[in-house]
Amino acid sequence: MPQTNREIQELLIDYAGALRDGCMPDFLKSLTREEADRIASSAEFWQATEVTRILNSVGFADKAVTPDVGLFISRVNAAIACRLKKARASSPVKRNADRSRGPKPSTQAKTWAEDLL
Amino acid sequence: MDKRLRNALKGLADPDVEHRRRAMEPFVRATFGIFIRCLYRYLGNEVECEDVLEDVYADIWQDPGHLRNINSEKELLRNVYLYYMRKHLREVYRRINRNSYLSQQDLMNLVAPDLSIPEMMSQAELGQVLRRMLGRLKARERRAIELWMQGMSNRAIANELKTTVGAVKMLEFRTILKLKKMLSDCCRED
Repeated sequence: MPQTNREIQELLIDYAGALRDGCMPDFLKSLTREEADRIASSAEFWQATEVTRILNSVGFADKAVTPDVGLFISRVNAAIACRLKKARASSPVKRNADRSRGPKPSTQAKTWAEDLL
Repeated sequence: MDKRLRNALKGLADPDVEHRRRAMEPFVRATFGIFIRCLYRYLGNEVECEDVLEDVYADIWQDPGHLRNINSEKELLRNVYLYYMRKHLREVYRRINRNSYLSQQDLMNLVAPDLSIPEMMSQAELGQVLRRMLGRLKARERRAIELWMQGMSNRAIANELKTTVGAVKMLEFRTILKLKKMLSDCCRED
């Protein structure tokens, strides 16, 4: 059973542990109303979180197991392709082609989707 | 800023989307390590870091406007964090906050805060400053932080220091506040 009504030092250490172990959502969900109020009103907590993030970064960021960059690039490429596809699908050019017999549409503000085409 | 990164940034300035898409590969190669370490600071989870970073790069490709006239790695990281990463970091936690008692503003401050001077430092600089600061702590305080940074649980640290878990938490909290004060002094001196 999770510990409730934690003091500010316990909350900070739990936050630091969650950050270190990569389970921040669990920490956020574990907060009770009183604990959230305690966090909101504690200047010390907010000061300490900054150092905690730095400790996390210096101590663990270099040890993080990251994928091969080549594999990651293919993910980025896929994300870009997906956005291009969406932009093309919703572009005014296609809609204008469908309405080619209708009246000429008024000039619209240039969107990034138009920019892509 | 190294030549590889400078050239990669030049490619992003191209107005043609296909050219920009091709320019993304050298840019990702040059910056992946820097960005993922930055994100890890806030998420502490490699899988989430990758998911966020994928969207960050897609956003950069779509609108690289904030990355013009970048002169240093520090400036690049600052702009990427403020204009691209922060938005996604917030999105990661926004859905969780429906069931949380933390106010939206506190949540934002916790998961995607404003950049402070120490957070703007490079990894190497931070490591150096931290080592210097740890050297100034009392032996027991330093030991507690070092054990924590080795990945030990509070119970294990308590066993090691022959004390209670509650006392360890208090010791760590006080030490972290002490480190914060030292860090502020250090930034003021610099």
